[in-house]
Amino acid sequence: MHRSLAVIVLVLLLATIVVPASQAAEKVWSGLVIAENVTGPQPVPPELIRIEGLLKKFFGYNDFKVIGQSQKTLNTGQEDWLATSKFFGLHVDARGETQGGYVLNLKLYKEKELLLETEAKLSKRSPLVIKGPQVGGGQLLLVLVVQ
Amino acid sequence: MKTFEERWTAWLDDQLSGRELSEFEASLPDKAAAQAEKAQAKKLGELLKRELSARPLKNEEFFSHQLRERIGHDSGEQRPERASRTSTSTWWTIPRLLWAGTASLAVFWICTIFVMHQETPPEESQYLTQILNARVDPVVSPNGTVSIFEVKQDRVTVLWTEGLQSLPADYAAK
Repeated sequence: MHRSLAVIVLVLLLATIVVPASQAAEKVWSGLVIAENVTGPQPVPPELIRIEGLLKKFFGYNDFKVIGQSQKTLNTGQEDWLATSKFFGLHVDARGETQGGYVLNLKLYKEKELLLETEAKLSKRSPLVIKGPQVGGGQLLLVLVVQ
Repeated sequence: MKTFEERWTAWLDDQLSGRELSEFEASLPDKAAAQAEKAQAKKLGELLKRELSARPLKNEEFFSHQLRERIGHDSGEQRPERASRTSTSTWWTIPRLLWAGTASLAVFWICTIFVMHQETPPEESQYLTQILNARVDPVVSPNGTVSIFEVKQDRVTVLWTEGLQSLPADYAAK
């Protein structure tokens, strides 16, 4: 009887401690994507499956290729990181956690040249897609998703 | 004027004298029977006096001692009873503390779940990513503009830029 009681207490205590802790750390995937129209499109990268329909419908391309990416675990919501390809760099600076998301400052560089700067409140449930410059026959897209 | 009963009672108690006594005795129809009755009444009176009078206590000290002892005994019986009640009322034993802790945690969890269910869902705009501000570099892209689209159906926010410098296909390299 005392043993079962001790088990119940332990389980409740663990649940009290572990559940909030497990909610604390989240990953943000940020990617540089080239969208093109090709004759034999490749399967969409797994990070983009969730928004595949929107990408095709909204931008009018059938092929999406990740040319640079980064996956960052946010613990404090104050981290910064870089997702790069050969010529582009996306600098992400997290400026704190808000209710349901993170405030991010985003800078898109072409080599050392700043093309675009934006500040967004990235929701945990809502990806962000940024239309970048035209690249050849395709389009550079920046995608940020809280995983 | 005294009634016959009053004079009879007074005669039985030997309180008549003189002329009153002789007149009363003369009025009696059967003096011998009256004398016998008087004797019987006297005997009864003596008997009652003897039997009903309060008896003086011969051993007051002993009696009060007994009384005090009894009182002491009674209050002594009550004291251990109270003590035993106190010892049995020590409720916070370790198992009970554990039970109380478990129950408190369970109540806490139930309340937490209840409150979480009761919380009103946030507005839809809170689900969607929000663009707080955006700008294209005016030197690199002097005709650049930005627009924001919130695709609620897919829960996606799109920052749409126009007028950015077009780049050759080589820039699509990894």
